[in-house]
Amino acid sequence: MSENTTGTENLILLLSRHQEALFRYIFSLVPCEADARDILQETSLALFRKLDQYDAARPFLPWAYRFAYLQVQKHREKSARSPLWFSEDVMELLVRERIPIEPQLDERLRLLDGCLAMLSAREKELVTCRYALRQGAEEMMSRFAMSRRTLFRNLEMLRQRLHECVTRRLQSEGLS
Amino acid sequence: MKLESLVHARLDGEITPEQHAELENLLRGDWQARRLYLELADQHARMLQQPEVSTGRLVPSVTSARIGRRWRQGVTLAAAAAAMVALALVLWDEGAGTAEATSSGVAMLSQAYHAEFDKDGLRGGDSLAPGRLHLAKGLAQVEFFSGATVLMEGDAEIQVISAWEARCLRGRVRVHVPPAAKGFLMHAPGMRLEDLGTEFALNVQGGESAVQVVEGEVIAHTEKPPVSLKQGMRLGRTDAPFLAAGELQALMKQQETRRHGAWQDWFKQACRDARLIACYDFSSREDGGWDRRVPNLAQHGAARSDGGAVGARWTQGRWPGKGALEFKRPGDRVRLHLNGTCSALTMACWVKVDSVDKKYNSLLLTDGYDDGEPHWQIHEDGSLMFSIAYRPAAKPGKFNQMYFSRPVFSADSLGRWHHLAVSYDAGSGEVVQYFDGAEAGREVSPLHKPGRPVSFGACEVGNWGLPTVGHEFPIRNLNGAIDEFSIYNAVLSPGEIRSVYEAGRPE
Repeated sequence: MSENTTGTENLILLLSRHQEALFRYIFSLVPCEADARDILQETSLALFRKLDQYDAARPFLPWAYRFAYLQVQKHREKSARSPLWFSEDVMELLVRERIPIEPQLDERLRLLDGCLAMLSAREKELVTCRYALRQGAEEMMSRFAMSRRTLFRNLEMLRQRLHECVTRRLQSEGLS
Repeated sequence: MKLESLVHARLDGEITPEQHAELENLLRGDWQARRLYLELADQHARMLQQPEVSTGRLVPSVTSARIGRRWRQGVTLAAAAAAMVALALVLWDEGAGTAEATSSGVAMLSQAYHAEFDKDGLRGGDSLAPGRLHLAKGLAQVEFFSGATVLMEGDAEIQVISAWEARCLRGRVRVHVPPAAKGFLMHAPGMRLEDLGTEFALNVQGGESAVQVVEGEVIAHTEKPPVSLKQGMRLGRTDAPFLAAGELQALMKQQETRRHGAWQDWFKQACRDARLIACYDFSSREDGGWDRRVPNLAQHGAARSDGGAVGARWTQGRWPGKGALEFKRPGDRVRLHLNGTCSALTMACWVKVDSVDKKYNSLLLTDGYDDGEPHWQIHEDGSLMFSIAYRPAAKPGKFNQMYFSRPVFSADSLGRWHHLAVSYDAGSGEVVQYFDGAEAGREVSPLHKPGRPVSFGACEVGNWGLPTVGHEFPIRNLNGAIDEFSIYNAVLSPGEIRSVYEAGRPE
């Protein structure tokens, strides 16, 4: 019993440390955020059930990814008719190629905060509404007095500029 | 539609089935498209997860309440055990705003031999953030956090891009890539080398690159189709020989032996100093550690002033073959007893601090804290702290003369050997503190009154206090190792401290 408790506590610690990374992994494979949240929760449960199989000497994330991937495939089968899921071969490619570049992806996120801080007040407002307040398209269209097309065009340009800012910083960051 | 626009449309949920098919085809056919997709998807997911970090405009509670609500729905549905997991996720969300210590390093300078960099003060053990590294002279080894190592010989310049990527701008380098770092990319003029494991040498001279694979396989991307280079194969022309592997190790070993020998000669001489009350070199014992005696090597030192190690274990000091004592556990210490009084003091030691994890971390403290007794510690903020007590005749009153240096221990100075020193003049009341031979603090306490003597008596290195029966004692043990400790009954000048430091520098 006490062993079991320690195991649960361990999992909670591991999950809380890696939840964000696990969410990103899942999100890259599914059509929308809601799917990713559901799958993250199911993955947490699956991990809990299979906790006895986890070898603490090995890194947690690769082990957790396997469960997450299974859950993603389950969801995909359930919604096979939706055209917004990637085919299996593309998913496999994304999953396989993600592992070796993960350090670079993490590096990019570290620089992202600095790039976000450089945004203008209006751009920050756009980020806040879209990401923090989770406002829908209609709400944002009326708030910013924009057509749907302009709104998503602006969001695209904003994220594209953030991506370029991060790339530039990666290349030119000086020794400090 | 452009690839980027298709990706953004997918992220916003605005993509049509036709566009999605188009996106999928692009991803299927091109790894660079997949990489861009993963980068943009990750960026989007991060903003969804941590919007308060993104703008700094929102109170974190707004978002955690939102997400918390989502998770609480989950709790009602799931089993009790799962609830614990879900609860942890909620807790995590709320904690997301508290910053963890971060470092921008992607590599470290692991070894340096007679190295001169264009950036001053860079030395072995330093972390490297992405950027250029110019080695003007000597040899240096850079270990990337991915596991790849790059040995370079001055004059050479590399650009550290990430833990997985670097660029050689000029000079001779040798790249070793263990299996864990497979895929490490080295750029050079006119080529990009993808290491599939093991080792290659690269010369870049006058904008021309030449590469030779020493072991394993390298994929060379040039303007022509990529070629696989196997062991012994070479691409490009060069007049200079490629850099050999064992060179740095052999030179480092020689240098260590030389430095250790030079220090031993100096130390023998230094022990004859008439001002020296006590000095300990913590040489490792040959009997496997059973002998706990720590002999006082000062020639004019007081009789019966040998120390005794308690708990602390023998370990390696500044050089292989040089002993040190390691302090780890709350009981670890070296007991000393130094008789007599003096009108000034200087204490100096070589210490490797592994972490500053307590409020006070002991260097040397007298058992009690009576009049004229010094305490020398590292404060939790990383500064050096010297204090001496003189109780006023009329009690109660302030009695603790405290002196703090600027903070000297930080993430970068932990885990390696540093020289610490402090001098106190009972006449002028001036305390000068030193870190690696340079002044780190100088002041006179407002409580100072001239002419009150200093005394040690029973004291200990690396810890504080003998517990008396039935009483608990504060835990102040040092977390680290000490391999030389000297106590003088006079003030050493800044020049003298500097030369003590120079004589004992590990490299």
